[in-house]
Amino acid sequence: MKKTDTRQPAGFDRRTVLKGAAATAAVATGITGFPAYLKAANAPIKVAVPTILSGRVAILGQSSVAGLQLAAKEINDAGGIEGRKIEVVTRDSKGKPDEAARMTRDMVNNEGCEIVLNAEASGATFAVNETVRDIKKFCLHSCSETSSLTADPKNQVPWAFRSCRQGIHDAVGGGLYAAEVAKAKGLKRWATCSPDYAYGRANTEEFMEYVKIFAPDVEVITETWPKLFQPDYTENITALLNAQPDALYSCLWGGDLVAFFDQASLYGLFDQFEAFAVNLTDYPVITAIKNLPEGVHGGSRYHKDNPDTDANEAWNEKFRANSDVLPTNWAWQNYTAMSFIIEALKKTGGNTDAEKMAAATAGLTIQSPFGVDGTLTMRESDHTLVNYVVGYGVTIGKEPYVKDFTTTDWATITKYEEEWKKRNGYI
Amino acid sequence: MFDLDAISTCLSTSACVVNQVTSGLIIGMLLFLVASGVTLIFGVLHVINFAHGSFYMLGAYFAYTAYQITGSYFLAAAFGALGAGVAGVLFERLIISRVYGQNVLMQLLVCYAFILITDDLVKVFWGAEYLAMGIPPEFRLPPFRIAGGFVPPFYLFLVAVAVVIGIGSLLLVGRTRFGKIVRAAAINPSMVSALGIRVPVYFALLFGYGCILAGVAGALAAPVRSMTPGMGFGILVESFIVTVIGGMGSITGAFLAAIILGLTRSIGSVGFPLFVDGAMFLIMALVLIFRPTGLLGQGQLR
Amino acid sequence: MNVLLEFRRDFLLAIAGLAVLLLIGLGVDHPWPRDFLTSIFAYGLLAMSLNLLIGFTGLVSFGHAAFFAFGGYTFGLLLQSTGFTGAMGAWSVPVAFVAAAGGTALYALVIGAICVRLSEIYFAFLTLAFQMFLYSLIISWVDVTGGDQGLMGGIPRPEFLGVDLSNPYDRYVTCAIVFVACLMLLRVVTESPFGYTLRMIRDNPTRTAFLGVNVFRVKLISFVVAGAVAGVGGVILALFTSGAYPEWAYWAQSGEAIFMIMLGGLTVFLGPLLGAVLLRILNDVVQSYTTHSEIVIGIVILAVVLGLRRGILDFIRDLWVEREQSSLRRAADDTSRSAGGEAGR
Repeated sequence: MKKTDTRQPAGFDRRTVLKGAAATAAVATGITGFPAYLKAANAPIKVAVPTILSGRVAILGQSSVAGLQLAAKEINDAGGIEGRKIEVVTRDSKGKPDEAARMTRDMVNNEGCEIVLNAEASGATFAVNETVRDIKKFCLHSCSETSSLTADPKNQVPWAFRSCRQGIHDAVGGGLYAAEVAKAKGLKRWATCSPDYAYGRANTEEFMEYVKIFAPDVEVITETWPKLFQPDYTENITALLNAQPDALYSCLWGGDLVAFFDQASLYGLFDQFEAFAVNLTDYPVITAIKNLPEGVHGGSRYHKDNPDTDANEAWNEKFRANSDVLPTNWAWQNYTAMSFIIEALKKTGGNTDAEKMAAATAGLTIQSPFGVDGTLTMRESDHTLVNYVVGYGVTIGKEPYVKDFTTTDWATITKYEEEWKKRNGYI
Repeated sequence: MFDLDAISTCLSTSACVVNQVTSGLIIGMLLFLVASGVTLIFGVLHVINFAHGSFYMLGAYFAYTAYQITGSYFLAAAFGALGAGVAGVLFERLIISRVYGQNVLMQLLVCYAFILITDDLVKVFWGAEYLAMGIPPEFRLPPFRIAGGFVPPFYLFLVAVAVVIGIGSLLLVGRTRFGKIVRAAAINPSMVSALGIRVPVYFALLFGYGCILAGVAGALAAPVRSMTPGMGFGILVESFIVTVIGGMGSITGAFLAAIILGLTRSIGSVGFPLFVDGAMFLIMALVLIFRPTGLLGQGQLR
Repeated sequence: MNVLLEFRRDFLLAIAGLAVLLLIGLGVDHPWPRDFLTSIFAYGLLAMSLNLLIGFTGLVSFGHAAFFAFGGYTFGLLLQSTGFTGAMGAWSVPVAFVAAAGGTALYALVIGAICVRLSEIYFAFLTLAFQMFLYSLIISWVDVTGGDQGLMGGIPRPEFLGVDLSNPYDRYVTCAIVFVACLMLLRVVTESPFGYTLRMIRDNPTRTAFLGVNVFRVKLISFVVAGAVAGVGGVILALFTSGAYPEWAYWAQSGEAIFMIMLGGLTVFLGPLLGAVLLRILNDVVQSYTTHSEIVIGIVILAVVLGLRRGILDFIRDLWVEREQSSLRRAADDTSRSAGGEAGR
């Protein structure tokens, strides 16, 4: 590398560069800045979808896109909304919050997207939430389960909704189920092993809180917190072995859960105590675990037998026919998100104005294979989805992998959710 | 945050000692395999292979595919290791040999580019989602009970392989003709090539051997760790820490440091679970302040 | 005196540059140029401050993004704390800004004190290791940092002297001014006698030490200044995204910054900035065609590093230096007058 320290050339370069920078900026503005987008009567309604298509969570992102595309395809085949088709624009943020925020802005500002369907995990969801607040576009969050997203008034955006599970709902349902098992089998000493980040901490704390409410004998004797995406769980597994608990709760997910199960099986962990894993029953996870142990309690994420209806079975087949990835929890949530967008657009006559769409969506009830009674509702008070299936099942070593689903009724969930909100000062 | 009682309780029960020590060895040995490749390549070629984690990843993926085809884990592991070695030789010849002797910036950049490209290629060939090989049938045995503790047979195998390879590496570098030539070429390449020895070939082979070590680690990890594109980076950072603590260029040092780190992790997970990572960095900072050449590193820092 | 004169010209150029930036940002009735340029301000400061280390001091840091993240987080956390905004009132934003830059400088002082003594290679991967430590700290210290979700709920920005940073125009103007001010700071540092000491250390540390220069201290100062400027870059990004995110402290962010320097050129002052602009455009273009953008970026890096072997502005500069030197030779032939004391300094 040349190391010339004379002043003169540097002076020249400065001028050149300043001019160059200005020129570059101007050219860049010309090229990528203002793609002409037309708002002609029959132009498609573009939906911006920031999501994760690479990295550890890619399979969830792919099944998300497959889910929402399926819903879009159905309405487009039926002629669209007032003659306008739905067009989906996806961008891979790799799960990075600032990228997701930037891409959302770009899709709206430069590509003419009028609605945001945010298929990001919790990490990036809060960034997108702030973005849509800023640019004022109607937004449906379809993947983040963090309860405070819609429960905490600080995070609420008048034109943002959530069409997916919520941590507190799962905690009440899971806590009730686990407490019943604990009382029946005398499981008093509990251990937890969950990933050390926001979701892992909050989820585990809420779950154990409700187990203790419903079964006051239960105590947590040890907690171990592997890092997110930690490759080796041996130190956590031996910590569990040393503690000798009666039962274990884990909210590890995806590849981490698979690795944990494979490594724990080496130590015969699942022969020694009862295990509860809320994220176990998603198809890509449960099919990836070799030698799936029997009798592990898994939360119901998405399963074709829960609810055990013809509509659910039919959707499962339809999805698999249209996708090269397996259906997941994120798949039904994104299908649902697109369904809500479509229903709301029908009500506004294709008008995508944020406030009109928000008014049409608040309190909306749609027919759905994933609802406990065949319907799902977007609750008006806090813009979040209710009436979906919350429950637990028990693993069996082969297809269909999980049996004996227990479903929690929504009156109970709502009752405890209200108390939780009051305790946190949200209402 | 620090629960010294928990540590002393653990150390006074044999079951806990067995569990934590084996756990430390398992973590340490995989780290050692990767770190010994880094340290060997650095000792001879004076480049830091920032892309070393990629060969760990390739070893795991190659082993996965070979296992799908052959159904034999031992064949698969050998294939994974050799595959990583071949990729290493290619990387050395086509890319990194062009920046030997240059500014570390150039080395960093080509390694950065290589990491980006291999991660994406893995995505293209194996998909972006996680893969799991699963424990091969010959190791699907209940864990041994030693003094009340649990020791899985597969992990015994893993530790044994790592120790054998470690001794093999020492012998290869210290006792064989290959090792002597390589060490001489490290000090004075032009002199060695004047003797009619094709130094670049030896350099490429040594680099390949370093990558084989990473590939073995990947193949050993494949049955128990889920595989994803980008899985190599975490182990890279930890193996750097091992290399720094052990002393750059010293295989024995890497072995010692890997065991220290492994035990810190496993004992730490009992006594100070939230400070395990911090403890690793603390050890490294202390070593750098009081013994900058590392525990067993010799001579000047370059 | 000559030095002052030189910087006066730099100041004028900086003001002219600022005027151009303001013209683009305020004159165009579309958010895109503002968004684009604001992110360039942030990443540009990251790359340019890193080049103070790499290009001028010869310290190849692979963990520079740690300071970027540290600045962003400090700024965001202070403004999110109601105790802080309550006590500071309208002064919250400027005080948080100063605290973020100062805090990052302190953090850089600690890391630098451990690292700058070390040789090139040790230095590179120790800075990397410390950066990954910060990253894992951010991910797991959920109560404070929000973990992987970053700082949630937006960063409050109380109005200060009529400047409302939630207004996109005010925000853009503020960021542009801060950006240009930081460039001037870097310019003064690199073109002052101190800057020439840095170059001397880069080219031959042993000889510099013999000359009685405290190499450790000079390197450390350079490290701290670079860290603080990177921290300001983080503040700009925190303002822009109304949050702070762990990815800012991830190793890939540092790798990207190094590549920006290499792409634009590391011997020319504004090279890294050009690199930041080019990389961003390259990223945008590639991403709209393929999801396998990393292969393309990787190949471009290899092409630049192994093919061009220097950045774009380095290349142009080398061409210019050749021309300049031949014309200087001609001038020297024409007259016996000295061609000016500049070249010798």
